[in-house]
Amino acid sequence: MSGRERPGRARLRHRPAAVALAFLAPALAALLVLRLIPAAMAVVSSLRHTSLVTGETSFVGLENYLTLFGDPAFLQSVRVTLVFSLIVNPLQIAAALALAVLFTRRFAGVRFWRSLVILPIAVPPAVSAAIWSVAYRPDGLLNSVLAVLGIPEQPFLTSPAQALWCLIVLLSWIGVGYWMMFLIAGLQDIPASLYEAAAIDGASAWRRFVHVTLPLLRRPLAFVLVADTVSNFLVFAPVQMLTNGGPEGSTNVTMYDIFTRAYTVGDLNLAQAEVMLLVLVVLAVVAVQFRLLRAGD
Amino acid sequence: MARPRVRRSAAAVLGALAGLAFAVPLLWAVTSSLRENEAMFRYISEPSWRTLLPSDVTLANYAALVTGDFGRAILNSIVVALATVVLGLVISAAAAFGLAAVRFRGQGVLFGLVVLSFLIPFDAIAIPLATLFRDWSLQNTYAGLILPGLGHGLAIFLLRQFFLAIPAELVEAARIDGLGWFGVFARIYLPLSRPALVGAGMTLFIFQWQAYVWPLLIGTDTAHQLGPIALANMRGQFTIDYGQLFAGSVVLTVIPLIVIMRYQRHFTQSISTTGLK
Repeated sequence: MSGRERPGRARLRHRPAAVALAFLAPALAALLVLRLIPAAMAVVSSLRHTSLVTGETSFVGLENYLTLFGDPAFLQSVRVTLVFSLIVNPLQIAAALALAVLFTRRFAGVRFWRSLVILPIAVPPAVSAAIWSVAYRPDGLLNSVLAVLGIPEQPFLTSPAQALWCLIVLLSWIGVGYWMMFLIAGLQDIPASLYEAAAIDGASAWRRFVHVTLPLLRRPLAFVLVADTVSNFLVFAPVQMLTNGGPEGSTNVTMYDIFTRAYTVGDLNLAQAEVMLLVLVVLAVVAVQFRLLRAGD
Repeated sequence: MARPRVRRSAAAVLGALAGLAFAVPLLWAVTSSLRENEAMFRYISEPSWRTLLPSDVTLANYAALVTGDFGRAILNSIVVALATVVLGLVISAAAAFGLAAVRFRGQGVLFGLVVLSFLIPFDAIAIPLATLFRDWSLQNTYAGLILPGLGHGLAIFLLRQFFLAIPAELVEAARIDGLGWFGVFARIYLPLSRPALVGAGMTLFIFQWQAYVWPLLIGTDTAHQLGPIALANMRGQFTIDYGQLFAGSVVLTVIPLIVIMRYQRHFTQSISTTGLK
């Protein structure tokens, strides 16, 4: 979109930069103070150390990072985050894709049932966590449903083996409908004639899905994969409200670990170093997205 | 032709099951919010249709909300979200205009800054920003709660994409007729961009309404608590008032739901264009 080739445009170039900057000034100030400066502060702060004895802050280079990688709590949190990510992302995307395929078919009440699946996007995360925390109680809704099915009472949030799964179920309830919306938009862009052609060639439903749907859904899928992965790296409210990282650190995901380090342990510098590592991972994931989107264009 | 019909009913059954699975927790929350506290767990331990459908309806929990701290928190949430949408739209639309309507050297760099600012996840920089805000005595102030919602790169980005499609000839004609730059912005760009403004406004609203980490760090006293924080604090009390917890959950959900349904068309539009095209 270059304006240069448009005739008559010169008349408009009456000190254009000054005009534009006047319009841009409030937003640039906001972005600078509220996003970019804090980010830069985090970088600087992660390279410094505040002595608990003297209260003096000094430059220590990468020492905070080395400390983190020698800290069992941090390593455990990385392990939890890794396991969590490897389960929750494929699960949510598979569920969102399956539901998107289902809800782009035509059947009675499709719009109504689809809107129920999307409904949780209106629920703030703290509210979802509050509702599910009651459902997960030993005498809560889930155990009573299990009792009807003849399954014995489960400990849910108090069990190191089940707590992470409880969070995964809760987060999927929150997120799957949202990601499904993007995939439905992508599915609706695929021309019906392609399916008809494949059907005439005798391709089975599964083969049509693999050879027509999936390749043409690549862009929305890549976007959902990345956006979902990033948002799952930043999960905080449900962890803080349901498990506080426990039991036995089994749900101590990175975001929660950062906040404990900053405000419970009180080592801001170490927490900022962990923030930097998280941001680097997030940016790496976004960079991979651009690769995925560009390849094959 | 029995097979397509069988398939269609199978899809209908699956669709209904999926819809119900997602709706049950919310239905249960609504029902529980309409119930006396003593009856709260009776219907859970003996599940029946009464677990999900209200009987002996009472609005006592909602009445208690209004008089308690939670009512204040909801009001705070509304004030903060509205202020964010209005101020945020003015700032973002002006910036998008500066990036789309005028060409100048260095524009690419500034646009790059905008993109960079929304690639940095906000929750990750909440800690250094909270340190700054405490130094500036913005803790427990409305300004402290509203400000972070204003620097929203994504809103600027969405509006810029829309503004770029407005023909330059229109602007030229208006300029020749003696309209100033502010006139071009306010009388041509804004009226033409209603869908984009609604989309960006929704982005700002939902960002602020769903915020948890930031209000937890900066709005801790009762006078400046937001809804989600008040809800989380309810759980921390010695005896949890489940009736109020559910009623509060319903209120905090119904408000954004009304907004989303009112502007659903724009919302799905902005969703289907974000990052896809």
